[in-house]
Amino acid sequence: MSLLKPFSKLPDLNTANILLVENEEQFQQNLANTLVEETAVTVTVRLAKSLPLPMENDESRPRIDLVVFIINLTSDKSFESAKASLKYLVPGYFLGKVCFMATNARHASVRTGCLDALRQLAVSLHCPLLFAEDQTPEGAASSARRLLTILKVASGLVPNTTALYLSNLTRCTMPPDIDQPSFD
Amino acid sequence: MDNLAKHLLQRLMRRIPASMLQSTLDKWGRLTAEKRKSLDFTQSKLTITQELVALCEESELTVKHITELEMIYDAHSVELMQFKEQFKSHLSELKRNVSVKIKKHTDEAVWIRVAWGDGLSRPNHLKATYVVHYLQTPYVFVNALSSKNKPLLLQALTLSTKHQQIKAANLSGQKLTALRDLLMRQYQQVFPTKYPSPLPESDQSISKLRIEKVQAEASANRHRMAGETFGDGMLPALQSAFFQLETKFKDPTNEAMTQRDEPFICSVKFSSSNLLESLRHCASSGIASTPVTPLLSSIPLKGRNYFVITDNVPNA
Repeated sequence: MSLLKPFSKLPDLNTANILLVENEEQFQQNLANTLVEETAVTVTVRLAKSLPLPMENDESRPRIDLVVFIINLTSDKSFESAKASLKYLVPGYFLGKVCFMATNARHASVRTGCLDALRQLAVSLHCPLLFAEDQTPEGAASSARRLLTILKVASGLVPNTTALYLSNLTRCTMPPDIDQPSFD
Repeated sequence: MDNLAKHLLQRLMRRIPASMLQSTLDKWGRLTAEKRKSLDFTQSKLTITQELVALCEESELTVKHITELEMIYDAHSVELMQFKEQFKSHLSELKRNVSVKIKKHTDEAVWIRVAWGDGLSRPNHLKATYVVHYLQTPYVFVNALSSKNKPLLLQALTLSTKHQQIKAANLSGQKLTALRDLLMRQYQQVFPTKYPSPLPESDQSISKLRIEKVQAEASANRHRMAGETFGDGMLPALQSAFFQLETKFKDPTNEAMTQRDEPFICSVKFSSSNLLESLRHCASSGIASTPVTPLLSSIPLKGRNYFVITDNVPNA
């Protein structure tokens, strides 16, 4: 089984490597184009449809600092594909090097319970859950900015901070139960 | 102009009927417009022939040009005129009181409008049947034909196009051009090649170098197979596909249904503004597995969109 390991390769100078996993292969291209425009750090982006990644180009691949799963909430297949890909990551990635990004959260055809299921998943894995708007370039730009913040920390380019420290602040939590009345 | 050429021309003029003379000469195009205008087509054939011979001598046409004219006449006449006459006569034999109008379009399509009436009533022009036939192809497109008149029309068509039999193609839709393009493969085809991808470009910009698709080969394979099945570029705008299933119910968890002996009758309809485009996208994005299942690939390959599926063999 070709598991992805976070620290099995040497890093490059001032480089950050991000892997975008998306079943539809649409939004990841726009995000990638915006991400590589960053000048302070050299960002390389790898695009994939699902894990596992093929063994053939394993040597040429740099070490991946952040894995982002882009899930389209209107499609069940998207969610299932992302869940199936999770088992190809070594547990070491879940200490702040994995992030979930959901698109189309406000769409009318989102199945009820889909967003909750995704939230449960993110909570159980201690990962942040971001929401993105994928139809406009501004949406791609703002999601790219947020990803870059997390990416810089995850690749060790921000002094005095590690991915694990950051994940304690950014990780997804379940909202308190709305049914319980807070006043009597 | 030598004697052989003159002789050929005279013999040809005897063959060409007066009605077709002018249009054939126009198509030939070897005589200039003024010369053609100077020919008076109301005279007797003999006089026209003599004038034509004189004109051809002036233009110094040779045997080769005359043979050209003969070929044009043959091609032009055989199909259209014969078809028209025969179709009208056959249909009138089969049913009295039909009104038939035939017109040829520029793109080699013959449009026929038939208004049906029986022995007692006049032809009903409000509910006319339209038939489109592309000469030299074995295809006929029919619109608004009642089952009562169907065998009559089909028989007239078969006889006048000199074929043995006619059968249903199981292809129907809203747009004639789409059906025609699908049937006659008038869209961009993709043929399998051993070395599909061209050499990679050498001048990639810096930012492009940093983005890499990890599973590019798998995705390229999917695109290629989808293209080979459905074609490239703009696809004919087919709007629906209908599958009638008459197979046994197969679900290991449902005992009650699988125990029945008779087949489970179910129909599936796909509809879209451009069905072939959507199917191609399904295949290239991985929603439908590649190589494309014959259930879907039969739509462009066989040019049908109505299928009946029974247990032994798909596409009965």
